Amino acid sequence: MSRRSLLRTGAAAALGLTAAGCGFTTADPVASKSPDEPIKVRPDGDLVYFNWADFVDPAVFAGFEKEYGVKVIQSNFDSMEGMVAKLNAGNRYDIIFPTAKWAQRLAAGNRLRKIDHTRLRHAESVFGRYDYFADPWYDKDSAHTVPFTMYKTGIGWRKDKIGDDLTGSWDDLWNNRARGKVFVLDDRDEVLGMAALKLGLDIATENENDLARITDTLHSLRPRLRGFSSDSYNNLLNGNAAMTQAWSGDMAAMLGQAKDPSVFGFETAKEGAPVNSDCYAIPVNAPHPGTAMLFIDYMLRPENVKKNIEYIGYPMPVGGSEDTYAAIVEPFPECLVQATDLKDDLYFRNGTSKGEQARDTAWTHVKAG
Amino acid sequence: MTAFLIASLVLVAALAFGTTDPLGNPRFGFNLDNIAAMADPAYRVVLLRSLGYAVLTCAICLVVAYPVAYAIALHGGRFKNLLIAAIVVPFFANYLVRMYGWSVVLSDDGPLLKALRSAGLADETTKILQTGGGVIAGLVYGFIVFMIIPLYAALERMDTSLIEAGRDLYGGPLRTFFFVTLPATRQGAAAGCVLVLLPAMGDFVSAQLMGGPDQIMIGNLIQDKFFQGQNWPLGSALTMLMMAVLFVGMIGYLRRARKDEAEAVR
Repeated sequence: MSRRSLLRTGAAAALGLTAAGCGFTTADPVASKSPDEPIKVRPDGDLVYFNWADFVDPAVFAGFEKEYGVKVIQSNFDSMEGMVAKLNAGNRYDIIFPTAKWAQRLAAGNRLRKIDHTRLRHAESVFGRYDYFADPWYDKDSAHTVPFTMYKTGIGWRKDKIGDDLTGSWDDLWNNRARGKVFVLDDRDEVLGMAALKLGLDIATENENDLARITDTLHSLRPRLRGFSSDSYNNLLNGNAAMTQAWSGDMAAMLGQAKDPSVFGFETAKEGAPVNSDCYAIPVNAPHPGTAMLFIDYMLRPENVKKNIEYIGYPMPVGGSEDTYAAIVEPFPECLVQATDLKDDLYFRNGTSKGEQARDTAWTHVKAG
Repeated sequence: MTAFLIASLVLVAALAFGTTDPLGNPRFGFNLDNIAAMADPAYRVVLLRSLGYAVLTCAICLVVAYPVAYAIALHGGRFKNLLIAAIVVPFFANYLVRMYGWSVVLSDDGPLLKALRSAGLADETTKILQTGGGVIAGLVYGFIVFMIIPLYAALERMDTSLIEAGRDLYGGPLRTFFFVTLPATRQGAAAGCVLVLLPAMGDFVSAQLMGGPDQIMIGNLIQDKFFQGQNWPLGSALTMLMMAVLFVGMIGYLRRARKDEAEAVR
């Protein structure tokens, strides 16, 4: 089970006990500092770190602690919703890692401090090399964020079970050779987005007619479908799946675990591959924002980028790290996230309240059958 | 403690009438949209499926747990505590991890199906995961300890001279069991059924790890409302609906327990 999917599965119980009670209590977002006040880049206390579990190489933490004489106090979230619930409840963290969509929400809600990139010595390797992130849709001028990872969604499959002559289309999920052994991700946006791309629709459509077509299309997949699961690489490894919708990072991680990687394939669809990224961000009530800035800069050093890429299997938009990642995913070159992928801009974006509810209803119909 | 429980319940109930703001945060309110949304037939199908799985789980747990509790309570001798510990201690391990391990054992290329195939008892198309049977197996495995313990306690408390009296009156072992032992321990069985039914009905892990698209339970949909749709108000409304269904079962249990107590006093 991938780290994220294991955590996600366990999240609801924890939410019931903790976050549900406080998610709607609005913390004072400007209790400590103005979001716009420049952050002095200097150690100002231990780093209170909040991320998915196991998303940074422990050796990198150890190096940071040693160099700056601070401790890294770690806690982990199990979902973006869980993370925001903790922030809303008034918990204080120095550094968090929202996805693009959530970074936009947090910035719009004045929950993030501004990050002056000119104060980060290594920022140029990100923004100079990956101009997409210099002014991304989710955060104008990347004023509140620095990108951390990026990934795509595609199809992973077992060549030994269904051969290797796929068509490079989302239609492949409807392949009769994989009948009864197809999984899709247990993720609303990814599944609705996949069907939207197959139909040539907007990936994040809120239109009722579009959503009805998407639901019908996904119902036609049902006879071939074995389940909704984000545990893609284990489903492939243990033979439950002959084919599965999968995140590129998980497929890269699978390569390190498979006895014989040559029996696996990964493709991205010609109709389009959704792309996403996680970011570094500093909450507005961070107790030690100076240490957080130092940490971001430390993480962007080439040697640490290399260690982290090798540890988590996700590419990072940092100039000079491309060869490291390319070597890891040599059997699955489609895991690479190229500038053209970013330009295609197939990100899942925030919708209106009404639109989100319409998508939510469509997802219920897809899952409940 | 009770105040905390009631307060969180009140919050969930109040949020069922709430809304979601543009940032996706839940807000209290007084609208009936979430109540109306629950009329969607999809929820009815999933709710009934969950109830069916929970009741079946309860029945299987009862049938499997009774002989186990009986053997330990009446024939365990000095090993009683050790045997109970052997049943309870594995349940200290995280439920999710245990279920995940179970799903690995039952997977298509897992040890169980491999063994069955080599024995000629299964073929390449045989599967356990992503079936209703797989989900119920997970639920039984997950909650059977809640049936064993109250049954064990009831059997421990039972006056064993009643069994001897039954035999003295020429009752065979089966007759004695059905007319003496079973009625004397029915409170334990009822308590076990409630303890299994409540968590089984709301469970989402078993359906997620062992179930396929046709085995989704109400717990999975509620989980989605909180974690994917960020629709906490609708999730709260569904939680209240599920609790209302379970409340009917609880009332039945409480009335029965009160009647039994009154009879015992008399």
